[in-house]
Amino acid sequence: MLTKKLLPAQSFQLLVSRNVGHLSRQRYDVIVVGGGHAGTEAAAAAARVGVDTLLVTQKIHTVGALSCNPSLGGIGKGHLVREVDALDGLCGRAGDWAGIHFSILNRRKGPAVWGPRAQLDRQLYRDFIQSELLSTPRLTVLEGSVEELLLTDPNPDEPGPHRVSGIRLANSGQSISAASVVLTTGTFLSGSLFMGQTTSPGGRIGDAPSSAGLSHTLRERLGLKVGRLRTGTPPRILKDSVDLSLAELHPPDSCPTPFSFMNTQTRCKPEEQLPCYLTRTTPGVEKIVRESLHLNCHIQQDTKGPRYCPSIESKVLRFSGRSHQVWLEPEGLTSDLLYPQGLSMTMPPEVQLRLIREIPPLHRAEIHTPGYGVQYDFVCPTQLSPSLQVKNTQGLFLAGQINGTTGYEEAAAQGLWAGVNAARRSLSMPQVALSRTESYIGVLIDDLISRGVTEPYRMFTSRAEFRTLLRPDNADLRLTLKGFELGCVSPSRYQEAVRVKNSLRDAMAALRAVSLSSTHWRERLPDIGLSENKMSKLTAMEILQHTDTTFEMLASVFPESFSPYMEFAQRLRIEAVYKYLCDISRRDIKRIQKEENMSLPQDVDYFSLSSLSMEVREILDRYRPSTLGAATRLEGMTPAAIQVLFQYVSIAEKQKEIMQRQQQNQSEDKEDLCARNVSLPQ
Amino acid sequence: MMLPLPSVYRGIFRTAIRKLKSRNPSLHRLLSDCDGVQTGLADADTIFALSSGHGRCGVAVVRVSGPASATALRRMVGFTHRLPPPRTALLRSITDPCSKEVLDRGLVLWFPAPHSFTGEDSVEFHIHGGPAVTAAVLHALGSVPGTRPAGAGEFTRRAFQAGKLDLTEVEGLGDLIHAETEAQRRQALRQMSGDLGRLYQDWSHRLKRCLAHVEAFIDFSEDELIEDGVLDRVDSWVCGLQAEMEEHLKDERRGERLRSGVQVVIAGATNAGKSSLLNTLCNRPAAIVSPIAGTTRDVVETALDIGGFPVLLSDTAGLRDSSDLVEQEGVRRARERVQQADLTLLVVDSTRLPSDVQQVAGFLSDHLKTVLKQPETDKCLLVLNKTDLLPEAQTEKLKQELRRVSGLPAACPISCQTSEGLKDFLTVLRSSVQTLCGDPLSGAPTLTQSRHRAHLQQCVAALGQYQRYRDFDLALAAEGVRLALTSLGRITGRVGAEEILDIIFREFCIGK
Repeated sequence: MLTKKLLPAQSFQLLVSRNVGHLSRQRYDVIVVGGGHAGTEAAAAAARVGVDTLLVTQKIHTVGALSCNPSLGGIGKGHLVREVDALDGLCGRAGDWAGIHFSILNRRKGPAVWGPRAQLDRQLYRDFIQSELLSTPRLTVLEGSVEELLLTDPNPDEPGPHRVSGIRLANSGQSISAASVVLTTGTFLSGSLFMGQTTSPGGRIGDAPSSAGLSHTLRERLGLKVGRLRTGTPPRILKDSVDLSLAELHPPDSCPTPFSFMNTQTRCKPEEQLPCYLTRTTPGVEKIVRESLHLNCHIQQDTKGPRYCPSIESKVLRFSGRSHQVWLEPEGLTSDLLYPQGLSMTMPPEVQLRLIREIPPLHRAEIHTPGYGVQYDFVCPTQLSPSLQVKNTQGLFLAGQINGTTGYEEAAAQGLWAGVNAARRSLSMPQVALSRTESYIGVLIDDLISRGVTEPYRMFTSRAEFRTLLRPDNADLRLTLKGFELGCVSPSRYQEAVRVKNSLRDAMAALRAVSLSSTHWRERLPDIGLSENKMSKLTAMEILQHTDTTFEMLASVFPESFSPYMEFAQRLRIEAVYKYLCDISRRDIKRIQKEENMSLPQDVDYFSLSSLSMEVREILDRYRPSTLGAATRLEGMTPAAIQVLFQYVSIAEKQKEIMQRQQQNQSEDKEDLCARNVSLPQ
Repeated sequence: MMLPLPSVYRGIFRTAIRKLKSRNPSLHRLLSDCDGVQTGLADADTIFALSSGHGRCGVAVVRVSGPASATALRRMVGFTHRLPPPRTALLRSITDPCSKEVLDRGLVLWFPAPHSFTGEDSVEFHIHGGPAVTAAVLHALGSVPGTRPAGAGEFTRRAFQAGKLDLTEVEGLGDLIHAETEAQRRQALRQMSGDLGRLYQDWSHRLKRCLAHVEAFIDFSEDELIEDGVLDRVDSWVCGLQAEMEEHLKDERRGERLRSGVQVVIAGATNAGKSSLLNTLCNRPAAIVSPIAGTTRDVVETALDIGGFPVLLSDTAGLRDSSDLVEQEGVRRARERVQQADLTLLVVDSTRLPSDVQQVAGFLSDHLKTVLKQPETDKCLLVLNKTDLLPEAQTEKLKQELRRVSGLPAACPISCQTSEGLKDFLTVLRSSVQTLCGDPLSGAPTLTQSRHRAHLQQCVAALGQYQRYRDFDLALAAEGVRLALTSLGRITGRVGAEEILDIIFREFCIGK
């Protein structure tokens, strides 16, 4: 079932103030700056935790806009969407509402790396996010631009020399105070747009640039280390001008799989889905790229762009003489545009037109909006704690591209987690972290804060050490219960997760309880090709691990045991197949958790550890990992250095223990003394 | 330099420890350990030790390593201003810094960091090897502030931690120090110079590439243009690696054997002369010899150097059915030893052989079966003892017959009494031992540690997982390659996810 119905657009104006004068208050618990994927998830999560939240965005109309590709999910990214959904975030349900072409990537490569993905209708996605925010209690959306952050004296009980106390708006100059501020500025922080040889300030074409004050506050007043990254977007093409008969048709899955654990079907009916088309670049494309390099100032700059979502220019320059894929994707059910994925470019518009016409299906194509490049500031994420709070500024949280990531899903994941922690801070509750052993969100945040970024960071399944455990199918088991404890999961979702968890547990027990000799299994299930030499008894669990077995087969043989669990057929089969390796992984996780629990003090003078090589000392001094586990993942660390740190931490912990024992003894002494005093005759 | 722990804490600890010890004796031991840890914790301590052998000798080497090395050098040798030129031997008087008394005259060498064995400032004193001289120099070093005697293996540990040696090199160094025979020394030297490390590094690089290609196929193939045949290529790489590792593992434990000694067991019926053979081989009466059957009841062991190869020779109780409980146990142990032996010397009393030499082969073959469960001809030598008791003509006939028959282990007629045939037997024994150890300098470096063997076996098994899952669950197959890399990493060092991604982006055009 789909949980939300869209509100009519008119109600929008009533609920949202465009003018500060109408704001009911000058103080909120949490202020979120920015209305993209990170900002909307952050604001919604903070409000779910139960605090008064204000979302400030430049244009209410663009809240929930898909600035680049009209799609959600994919390999690794789909994992993030499932996890955000398991924590009751928005993007999974929005994807189910707006999706017009669903497919599971990697279908043949194993459930741990399945990549749920959908093409989206831009308008439907934005509508869903906006209506969802409007119907969220305790959440106000305000149109405005933030001039600067308000700072105040730090709270002596918390670490960090600075504290944020609110924001000042650009036009009115009015201040709004808050315990926590979440910045999700995307590409707008000192953003500049590039097309051909022209450069203009801004973060997205058609939108005003953000004020320079915010960037100044971060760099100068808070002293944060800031870097610069670039990205780009392809031209949008008029669908009518494209000869799709010359491209390869790629239909969606015949049965769409929803992103959300709460949905059993998508809004779009299976037969209403739209196809994608695949085509390829030709040698003519490469020729035009090379000829126009002198007209292309974006590509000449050496700011780091993403290796995995590169412009056509960098693809041609790095891997010349090849044909590159171009996907022609629908932009919506009623849209007359196509999105040519793979053709991100920044050359002058007239050259863009010449270039795309070198590709056969596009030989008469017309461009609706040309492609362009963006350069923007990001804050080096090693300056953040696992809650995404800036280490040196109490109450300031960062999420999304400002932390050096790329992609909607990465932004949404960080936004949600920053929102939860911002809300908890305003409630004086301790900050929380997700471990990389339990979620891709944990992997994402840990990679960011412990290694930093040198290019836009994107999620891949190969980044997760425990990929067999962190699957898209079990994100609810991993996160929903925990999310409920943290307050960001609704009771109805929690109850559903508990029901699923208990049913799976019972079903697994039932699978273990049914046990037959292999001869009997062969009689009942002749098709599974059980080898003759297996003589011992086999449980239904072991049979299910067999390549050709399905849960449905077992249910047909033992209906009374297994038919109650038919809705979980696919999940049970995955659990059974992965069980053995997951058990191995869990053992490794114990070791990692031990390392994660060994914290490294933030004030260690690494240069005094003379048994470490100078290189290692410099690395440790630069990144200041918070745990031994984080230290092991730093680039350039050697097994020997880890051993030294391990000894160092073990000794420090032993000393702490002695200290505690000593204090205990002292207090016992005092108690003795008190006892004696009491017994003294008065 | 101490650990960056506020000094006030250190004071508190000492007080706390003293106090706790006096209050609770059971805590005493635990806290004494903590005391030790406290001194051990300051890795910036300067350590010193006698680095050459103990006992009387011509020259003794005392090594000092750590930041106070220069101070020690100044105070004990009297370089008041400048330090001596690095890595140059100088003849100097060595004095006690407190009493100013001259202790000895010897060579001093100054190795400033990082160009020293440990990577720290180091000093070596080459002094006369008398116990009194070394004791006095060590005592004097101890009086230099910031120094303490080194713990076992501490110099090597520091070298390892400074990145001067990798783990296989450290192990090689340990073996070099403990090498007792020529072949052991060659193998250890080869390992220390990094041959084995290089072999494992090469495997590790290739496994990384396998994993990167599988990961590229998982993370990018649906969306991107990954060339066809990526997985087929990985298949052949994995097969190749697996074959090489299996070959390396199939070395019949040659390297480990050379490192820890070849187990040679003397077995046979009672009173065949087993103990006499042991005594003859080790040139001393190590085992009691008597004409009474069942003299040897327990296993008698002795270490030998046979042609440069280390041999652990054991003499066992004679094999017979006995009602004596002690002897029964001895026979059980003898059989156990034979089971574990690399080489069995089956001793036979020549006088008990059939007088018709035609029947000797059959007799020996039957006898072999009663001693060895699965007689392998290359793991056994037949020693036909007591030839001095046979008529000379009979011995000659026997030798001729033995040269004629095939299918039996090499047989050597000898007499422990007269040493007749001993030289020939030793030649045969040496070549058997050499085959068991291999030549440490030729071919691929051999496995020397059972630790390496265990990790490599895991590695090979994990590659099997890749092959098992490759066609229906690539995530699980990739997990196999990842496990393989982790197992190998236990020998060569860890491999991070970022390294894999670097390979992916270097080798594939990834881009939407």
